[in-house]
Amino acid sequence: MAKTWMRLDNAALIFPATRKSKWVNCFRVSATLREAVDPALLQQAVNDLKPRFPSMFVRLRKGVFWYYLEQIDTPPMVHQDYAFPLPHMGAQEIGTCCLRVLYFENRIGVEFFHALTDGTGGMIFLKTLTARYLELAHDIRIPATDGILDRTEAPQPEELEDSFQRYASKYPLRIKENEVKHFGGTRTPGFQFLTTGILPTDQLVKAAHRYDATVTAFLAAVMAQVLLEKQALEEPRLSLQKPIQICIPVNLRKLYGSRTLRNFALTVYPGVDPRLGSYTLEELCKAVTSQLAAEVTPQKMAGRMAPNVNPANNPLIRAAPLFIKNIVMQLVYNVRGENFGCLNVSNLGRQTLPENMAPFVERLEFIIGVQQTYSNNCSVASFGETTCVNMIRNIRESDIERRFFSRLVELGVPVSIESNECNYRAQ
Amino acid sequence: MYCVKCGVRLHDGVERCPLCQTPVWNPDGAEPAHRSFSAVYPEEENRRRYPILAFLTAILIAVDLALLIFCLRIYGKVAWSGYVMLATAVVYLIVFLPLWINKPHPLVFVPLSFAVVGGYLLYICLVTGGHWFLPFAFPVVLIIGLITTAAVACYRYLRHGKLFVTGGLFLAIGGAAMLIEMFEAIAFGTRMWTWSLYVVAGFATVGIFLLLAGIIRPLREYLEKKFFL
Repeated sequence: MAKTWMRLDNAALIFPATRKSKWVNCFRVSATLREAVDPALLQQAVNDLKPRFPSMFVRLRKGVFWYYLEQIDTPPMVHQDYAFPLPHMGAQEIGTCCLRVLYFENRIGVEFFHALTDGTGGMIFLKTLTARYLELAHDIRIPATDGILDRTEAPQPEELEDSFQRYASKYPLRIKENEVKHFGGTRTPGFQFLTTGILPTDQLVKAAHRYDATVTAFLAAVMAQVLLEKQALEEPRLSLQKPIQICIPVNLRKLYGSRTLRNFALTVYPGVDPRLGSYTLEELCKAVTSQLAAEVTPQKMAGRMAPNVNPANNPLIRAAPLFIKNIVMQLVYNVRGENFGCLNVSNLGRQTLPENMAPFVERLEFIIGVQQTYSNNCSVASFGETTCVNMIRNIRESDIERRFFSRLVELGVPVSIESNECNYRAQ
Repeated sequence: MYCVKCGVRLHDGVERCPLCQTPVWNPDGAEPAHRSFSAVYPEEENRRRYPILAFLTAILIAVDLALLIFCLRIYGKVAWSGYVMLATAVVYLIVFLPLWINKPHPLVFVPLSFAVVGGYLLYICLVTGGHWFLPFAFPVVLIIGLITTAAVACYRYLRHGKLFVTGGLFLAIGGAAMLIEMFEAIAFGTRMWTWSLYVVAGFATVGIFLLLAGIIRPLREYLEKKFFL
C-alpha cells in the first residue's frame, strides 16, 4: 500500500509553527478564462487531478515530533470566491484540506497553505487543473507541455522530493542582513484589499531594458524608490531612517534542474541604505540587478539553504517534542523571519500555455498574502501580452500602490487598475 | 477612463480611483461597476466552541445542584454549598460568558467581572456576619476595577503611547497598593506602611523606566526590537 503521508519539506517546517489565530502564510494562483466557469465541471476536474497530485490533496496533521501532511480521501469541494483573496485558513480548515479551489464568473482560483508548495508548484497545479477543466468543457485534448502535467501518468518521485535536502550545502553561508523599515497603517481585520495593475508585458519589458534590468529587478527598484520616498516623508531625519530592502523569492528549480512540486524557493534581499545618499532609479536598478546577480548562484544558494537544513537534520533537534520546536521556531521567526524585507516582490515570470489552450485563457495571476509584521506585498505573473501586478494589503492606506503604479505610468508603462475596494465594509 | 491624479486606467463604472480616492467623472453616465471579487464573506471558524460551552455549562449546573441537594439533606439549609455555587457562578460569568459572544466588548465584561467579584464578597460578608465589606472589600475591588478598566480602555482605543499607558498603569498599581493598605488599617486596625512602600518602590521604578522609554526614542526602539513578540 502506497504511503499516504509525507514529511514537510524543509521550507515548509516554519509555516505550521508560525501560524496564528489571525494569520497564516498562504498564496493564491488564478486563471481568468474567456468564458464563465461551470462549477460542476470544475469539481469534476479537481476530482480527476487527485491521483496525480498526492502532495497537494493533503491535510496538516500533528505528530509527536513533527507536523506531517496526510493525503485526504475526498478532494475539496469547489466553492464560490469570497469578497477578498486569501481569507484566513484556520486550524480546522488546514486540518481538513490545505488548499481551496474557488470560482467566480470567469475565474478559477486555487489558494494554498504555503506548507504544501510554492508559487511555481501552485502554478503547475493551476495550469493542469485549468487544462483538465477545458478538456471537460470543450471535449479537446490538451498536451502535457508548458508546465502542465499528464494527469494519466503516475506521480514521479522527483516531484515529491524535498529538494532542499538534496541540494543544500554542508557548509552554511552566513550573511549579515540589515534590519529594515517596515511600513504599517490602519489594520482592516477580516479584510484584505487587492489592487491589480494590468500592464502590457512588452512595454514593461522595454521599460526594464531601458535600465538594463530584468522585469523583477526593475519592479523591485521602482518599489524601492517608492518606499524610500515614503520613508523620507514619514521620517525626514536621515539618521533615523532605515535601509530599504525588497524581499525577492528565487525559484531554485531553474538553478538546480529540480522538478519538485513542493517548496523550493529562497529569498534574497537586495536593497539600499538611504543614510548613504539619495538614489536615482537607474542607480536602484543597478544596485538590485548586481545584488541579485551576486546572490543567485547555485553555490551561494546551496550555502543559504544550509542554515535551515542542518538544524532540521540534527538528531537532538529532531528528538525534541513538537511543542518545543514550535516555540523555538516561532521565536526564531519573530526575530529573523521578516526583519530583512520591507515587502515582497514575488515574480512568477512569463507563463506559457499549449497552443490549443491559450485562446481560452485571458490572464494568469499570482497573489501572495500579507506577512505577519508587514502589511503590503506585491506579486507578479505574466501571460501572453498581459502582466498582472497584484498588490495586497491589510491596511486602509493605499499610498504604496498609488505611488508604485503612478511611477510606472510616469515611466511609460500604461497601467489599468482593478480593485476589490468596493467590497470593504468596516468591521 | 483614467484617473486624473494617478494616470492609471480604471474600469468603467468606478466612482473613485481605488488608489487615490479621486472622484471619477464619467461623461456617459453611471454604468454598473465591474466587480473583481464576489460579495461573499468567509464564515468564521469558531462555531465548534458552542457545543463544548453548552456541555461545560450543563456540568457546572449539575455539580451545583448536586451540592445544594446534598447540603439541604444533611444540614437542612444551603450551608457551604452557597459559597461553591456562587464561586462557580463567578467563574462562569467571568470566563465562560464572554466565550458565548463572538466579539465580547472588554469595556462591558471587565467592569462586570469586578462587579461580580464584589457581589460574591458581599455575600460572604453577610453570611459570615463580618463588617469588612464596606470599609475594605468594596473600596479595594472598586480601585482595582477602575484601574483595570481604564487600562483596557487605553490599550483598546489609543493607537499610540502604549508605553505611557503601561508606565502609568505601573504607577497606578503602586498608588493603589498604598490605598489598599490604608483601607486595611481602617478596617482591621493594622499598622500603616508595612508592605505597600515595597510595592510602590518596585512598580514606580518600572513605571518611570517605561515613561522614560516612551520619551527617549532610541531606548524605545531598542526595547521594541529586543522584546518583539
